[in-house]
Amino acid sequence: MPIHVLPPDVASQIAAGEVVERPASVVKELVENSIDAGARDIHVETQAGGKQLIRVRDDGCGIPAAEVELAFHRHSTSKLTSADDLTRITTLGFRGEALASIGAVSRVTLDTRAADEEVGARLRFEGGRVIERGGSVRAPGTTVTVEDLFFNVPARRKFLRSDRTERRHIDAWLTRYALAYPDLRLTVSHDGRVTFRSPGSGALRDVLIAVYGLEVGAAALEIIADRPSADITVTGFVSPPSIHRAGRGFITLFVNGRWIQDASLTYAIVQAYQTLLPAGRYPLAVVMVHLPPADVDVNVHPTKAEVRFRDGDAVFRAVQRAVRYTLLERAPVPPASVQPAAGIESARRDRLAHLAPAARQLGLAQPAPVGRGADIPLESGAEAGRLPPLRVIGQVRATYIVAEGPEGLYLIDQHAAHERVLFEKLLAERKRAAVPSQALLEPRPVELSPEAASLLMAHRETLASLGFRVEPFGGRTFLVRAVPALVADEEPQQVLEDLATALELGDEPLGEQIAESVARWVCKRAAIKAGQVLTVEEMEGLIRSLEQCASPRTCPHGRPTMIHLSVSRLAHEFGRT
Amino acid sequence: MKVSCLQENLSKGLSIVGRAVSPRSALPILSNVLLATDEGRLKLSANNMEIQIDCWIGARVEEEGAITVPAGTFADLVNALPPEQVDLELIPRTQTLNLRAGRSQANIKGLDAQDFPAMPLPEEQEGIPVEADALREALRQVTFSAATEETRRILTGVLAWFEGERLTLVATDGYRLSMRVVPLSQPVEEPFKVVVPARAMTELSRISGDQEDPIIVSLSPAHNQVVFRLTNSVLTSQLVDGNYPDYQRIIPKKYKTRTVVDTAAFLKACKMALIFARESSHVATLHIRPESELAAAHMVVAATSVETGDDSVELDATIEGDELDIAFNVRYLIDVLSVINTPQVALETSDATLPGVIRPVGDENYVHVLMPMHLG
Repeated sequence: MPIHVLPPDVASQIAAGEVVERPASVVKELVENSIDAGARDIHVETQAGGKQLIRVRDDGCGIPAAEVELAFHRHSTSKLTSADDLTRITTLGFRGEALASIGAVSRVTLDTRAADEEVGARLRFEGGRVIERGGSVRAPGTTVTVEDLFFNVPARRKFLRSDRTERRHIDAWLTRYALAYPDLRLTVSHDGRVTFRSPGSGALRDVLIAVYGLEVGAAALEIIADRPSADITVTGFVSPPSIHRAGRGFITLFVNGRWIQDASLTYAIVQAYQTLLPAGRYPLAVVMVHLPPADVDVNVHPTKAEVRFRDGDAVFRAVQRAVRYTLLERAPVPPASVQPAAGIESARRDRLAHLAPAARQLGLAQPAPVGRGADIPLESGAEAGRLPPLRVIGQVRATYIVAEGPEGLYLIDQHAAHERVLFEKLLAERKRAAVPSQALLEPRPVELSPEAASLLMAHRETLASLGFRVEPFGGRTFLVRAVPALVADEEPQQVLEDLATALELGDEPLGEQIAESVARWVCKRAAIKAGQVLTVEEMEGLIRSLEQCASPRTCPHGRPTMIHLSVSRLAHEFGRT
Repeated sequence: MKVSCLQENLSKGLSIVGRAVSPRSALPILSNVLLATDEGRLKLSANNMEIQIDCWIGARVEEEGAITVPAGTFADLVNALPPEQVDLELIPRTQTLNLRAGRSQANIKGLDAQDFPAMPLPEEQEGIPVEADALREALRQVTFSAATEETRRILTGVLAWFEGERLTLVATDGYRLSMRVVPLSQPVEEPFKVVVPARAMTELSRISGDQEDPIIVSLSPAHNQVVFRLTNSVLTSQLVDGNYPDYQRIIPKKYKTRTVVDTAAFLKACKMALIFARESSHVATLHIRPESELAAAHMVVAATSVETGDDSVELDATIEGDELDIAFNVRYLIDVLSVINTPQVALETSDATLPGVIRPVGDENYVHVLMPMHLG
């Protein structure tokens, strides 16, 4: 057979195969178009798992009547004008292939009205050809109805699975969009029955509840960035260590609002849970990575499910750190992992052994970093959140406070606990614009390194909101006029120099989080130190204050403030069980 | 060395020098007290390298000599003895001090007096006499304002400026300043300024409790120590090196509002404010309200804690000038009001961001300046 150029309809069917694999791909392409069109409300309807019918109705900007036909041409798009634009893609679609590909393998009806046009347009398209044109009277937006998918590609049709499987694939995609766009109202119905509805409240947690149910949704920990860099931000939710699943399938990743599959980032998330989850169990996570469009290449794969990062390592680190930090900051008290006394190896211990192998090896001196570790089955109520009322028993090594609560024994690091107390108070005061600041009798000159000076200059207002009144005094010299009352016992000059050094060393993040890092620094400085002998009243005061904290279980730097030995744990260690 | 003295005298002498002992020094001998015969008396000395206190007690000296013994042990021992004559005898071979009183006796192992790093006392010389009660009172009113953190050493001292017929004492920690002028009975021939560690001043106040004669102040020949000579004891202190801030520039010369209130009532209101203020960095706000059509002149002392609650106390006041809300560290207010002896006190203010000045009404010789706090 001689070589010849394929007729266009054959070529487009082949190309369509790359984009349109199964009904879910159609749904994905159409929903992406709707989102790119600025839709707030999207209805997705399917019949027979999408094989018979897929209809996506949105309230987006619509397509002007004059351009409707063009929309079905391959490589026609409104989202991109030059190759240059490819480096800064902000829309989900851009290839201009979706409608053309879908149109090549199904019967498509496009019903649309642009917001600024009186009358809309209606176009029927079958196997790549326009078979009907007309006007349409409807609200602004677009409805795309795809019928008889693959009617002209029997080979493809044969490979479609059961209705249920195809529906599952569709739902998986729709779930991702619901998570990625919490302000989108997404309604899904299969065979005439509404099966999913995202609230469109704009709150991701609401979507989580809609997707994963109240228990998971309510317990999920919102990711808090520990050191957000200007370029990469990580948001979303991760499950607390007490909730886990058997597979990685509950880890959902988005990059700039686009769902992606990335083994490396999935691994970053799983790794952040190291020692916290039983072997073979995986967290639930919805993690969104935002980075400048130029730093990520989404034009790698036709379905755009894979992306390439300019600096993959940085993204990996950012994700892992953010998740880890969130767990440290938000997760429950780490239980003390006590080295069992020799000979006490009950059947129960053996049963537990596999749950936290790492914690088991650490011994008493080194508690498991965080999480419930070996105690998972033993403990019940020790969830994240506020502390139960604690009774002070005493102080150990002038460093740790020993306290008793309804759930057992607590060892509290006095410095970390005090840091936490001061930190929450300081941030609250800052929010009320009421950080007490002590003015100096005479402004004190401080000369800083050029970098520290420019940092200080750039963040003067933030510093002022935390009680530092600092004025430039020519060159790299500043005048300290007031310092936060918390550190007023110290030499102001020294305080400012040290702060500038800390900022300069970049140990603390800069950018929008600078306020928190300065606050952390101030609180670290002001907090009682290890080695300070406390009276019972002082200890009680500290514990009372800690009980008031929103995140009493970690210090602002993420280290635990306390170790919990549950009643059952104690009983167990003494062989009383 | 062989001496006899009365237990009471020995005990009292030890309590005077005791505070100059440094119990946990790297140099073990500094935790000892030196006992030495001195012209028919027994001299007790303790030294912590910053201050030295020497105290002389009446004794019958049979044999001259000197020894150092652990101060704590020796004081405990002496205090346990009956109030009668104590015989002390050094056994040179073992450097052991033997104590006998009534039917008790004890032996304390000592360290050679040669190794004791005593500051050489200047020869008995002319000094500046300062009336003891006045000096003690002045120190009480000033010393508390000195810095306690070592980071800016000069501020841990009290400036003492002898000039003309007055001694000016100043202390500041960078946030507040106290200044007291003590009149002298005779003009100073050669004016001088020294910065004395606040701790030395505190000890001076303590040991001069029943001093009736004037305290004679002089400088060591090398001008690196100051010597306070009391009737039976001498306190010698190292000086703090450095330039003391120009305090005169810090004391405001003008004010816009002058508020006169009852000292005791103000202090009481501040103590009440402290209950809430201690949870919010000790911020207390003064609402100064001159007489208006609605109300007589008054000042409100208020404190708020977001967690616990709030309080306010209204005080009768005589107010010249504008109304003002100004916040201070209430601990600073309590500190200064506690040392003011006049029934009324004046607060001079200009603005919520400018320093406040507190003066005892009718006493020109004392001024306290304190910087306000801000919320924001």
